[in-house]
Amino acid sequence: MVTNTSDSMAGALDMLPKKRQKISAFNEKWLIFKENFIGRAGLILLSLFALMALLSFIPPLIDPMYHPMTGVDPKISCSVGPSIHHWLGTDFIGRDILSQLLAGAKIAFMVGISSAFISIVLGTSIGMIAGYFGRYIDAILMRLADIIMVMPTLLVVLIFSSLFGQLNIWTIVLVIALFRWPGVSRVIRAQTLTLKQRPFIEAAKLAGASPIRIILRHIMPNVLPLSLLYMTFRVSSAIIIEAALAFLGFGDPSSVSWGMMLQWVWKTGHMFQAPYWLLPPGICISLITLSFYMVGRAMDEVLDPRLRKEDD
Amino acid sequence: MKTTTKLIVELDHIRKVYRSKQTFFRSDQKKIIALECLSMKIKRGEILGLVGESGSGKTTIGRLIVKLENPDTGKIYLDDKDISLLKRNSLKNFRSRLQMIFQDPYQSLNPQLSVFDTVVEPLIIHKIGDSTSRQKQVNQSLELVDLKPPADFLDSYPHQLSGGQRQRVAIARAIVLKPEFIVADEPTSMLDATVQLQIFDILLELKNKLNITILFITHSITAARYLCDRIAVIYRGHLMEQGPAQDVMTNPKHPYTKALIDAHPKFGYANKKQYKTLLKTQREPVNGECCPFFIRCEIAKMGVCDIKTPELKKKHNHHSVACFFS
Ligand SMILES: Nc1ncnc2c1ncn2[C@@H]1O[C@H](COP(=O)(O)OP(=O)(O)OP(=O)(O)O)[C@@H](O)[C@H]1O
Ligand SMILES: [Mg+2]
Repeated sequence: MVTNTSDSMAGALDMLPKKRQKISAFNEKWLIFKENFIGRAGLILLSLFALMALLSFIPPLIDPMYHPMTGVDPKISCSVGPSIHHWLGTDFIGRDILSQLLAGAKIAFMVGISSAFISIVLGTSIGMIAGYFGRYIDAILMRLADIIMVMPTLLVVLIFSSLFGQLNIWTIVLVIALFRWPGVSRVIRAQTLTLKQRPFIEAAKLAGASPIRIILRHIMPNVLPLSLLYMTFRVSSAIIIEAALAFLGFGDPSSVSWGMMLQWVWKTGHMFQAPYWLLPPGICISLITLSFYMVGRAMDEVLDPRLRKEDD
Repeated sequence: MKTTTKLIVELDHIRKVYRSKQTFFRSDQKKIIALECLSMKIKRGEILGLVGESGSGKTTIGRLIVKLENPDTGKIYLDDKDISLLKRNSLKNFRSRLQMIFQDPYQSLNPQLSVFDTVVEPLIIHKIGDSTSRQKQVNQSLELVDLKPPADFLDSYPHQLSGGQRQRVAIARAIVLKPEFIVADEPTSMLDATVQLQIFDILLELKNKLNITILFITHSITAARYLCDRIAVIYRGHLMEQGPAQDVMTNPKHPYTKALIDAHPKFGYANKKQYKTLLKTQREPVNGECCPFFIRCEIAKMGVCDIKTPELKKKHNHHSVACFFS
């Protein structure tokens, strides 16, 4: 059954129960999203990568030699092209490239999503606080944001790791997150400033609501879609930063990431001898960042066509 | 009732100036005087209509009374207590006694909250009752504003409601704490005529059933006449005329009030009486003290109106006017 939305809005007397309406509002957005070619393509790509991440648990179960870090094929001790036992070949000491690729997907998701999540939480709360309270709180927080914003994240992580030695993957996640919130907080602050002028915030004040309540109950739900949108962009940039770090040799040596695979190819001089080894991680990095970006673009259109473009 | 003659809110020589923000390049501040030395009394249980053209400072008065803003000088009293002294707990208590209904019902409801969540919020903030009694109070409020049956509306979101329905929800939220005083800031200016009348009737009902005092802000003197017990006319932050609604409408004393009455269309009136008090071409503004309406006033006289600001003087029967020639 198709319900005419404009009719039900105008009438509003033929009230449907809450659950159904909420779902139908969501459905509406979902339909627009599905219609969007970029969004659909991005989502399909993303689910492929998610599948890869899930499948990464299987190879080590089949045979310990498929373990991405420690599994070495006893019969092979140099890089060999694709074969029946190793669909994508092996690396310079005989480890399976396919299982490394799958493990890399897991790391990419982990790094991307967790550091994006942390930076979004930070950026959203700092932006809301700065925007709502204004005055010197705003001035202090935004100057801090400016300072961090002009620091090149990659360089800072490099300095960190040269100071503290090899960084653990979670430290890398945290550092990326800590340096990527200012962009988000600026956008959220701007949004908060316009929301703050809206009478429903004043109505809440008149009802006696505390600033914390106003921020959590009235401002946050209204900026959350924007935060989520920025999260998809942050995921891409976090994955790229991690890959760059790993490629430069500052990754976490206890886990396999795509950047690290590229580093191995390069360090062992296989750049031009082993395309079966070089290409898969390279393509994966490009595609996964692309797909997060495409999903973000599509969400952008669904949520608010007037949203500004990501500019960094 | 005995209490009708008692004051609920009193404004005492209020002055409010808005200053434009200083910027790096411009250090001179532009001052906008929104209210100038304005005194006003609102009696318990009445509907006082505040009439004036756009920019005359009506909204500012409302926002000062509910303490969304503070006056630069002057004091506001609620039940003889200075509201500028309120802190924390007493401020919260104050909030439960005064409420405001905003002009734009499309902006005054949080789009992310359902009708129930919107109306119940004040009860939660003031920790009144438990969930069942809150449910009951919300239902009562919605019934009072004619959203019947309430169950049909509880779970809707603002975007599913019409403008009139939204404004009712806003009114329901304002009355759920059983306030004594409500500022209604042009609550119907965004709505069409039939819905306007319904909202007026709801306001009348609030006054009669719940004994709520209402400051009704409007630019339409006819709306004020329909609804209000008393009317106060304000021009550029100055109170010009004040008196019983009937009196002010049929026997306006101030040239500005007359101009306002002239300005509203009188359909089907046999005697199209016009006061013609508005000057076609404005006079040169005077530096220094003068009557605020001087530059637009037809009957103003040189040597009188351009050297002194007239004070609000009682004429008869609680009807007072700030004009030398009335
Ligand atoms: N936040 C503000 N900052 C600067 N000036 C303001 C501000 N609010 C109001 N003003 C100025 O104060 C004056 C009175 O404004 P106010 O909103 O009280 O008028 P009003 O009578 O409510 O008008 P309307 O009928 O258009 O709502 C206007 O000149 C306005 O420009
Ligand atoms: Mg106004």
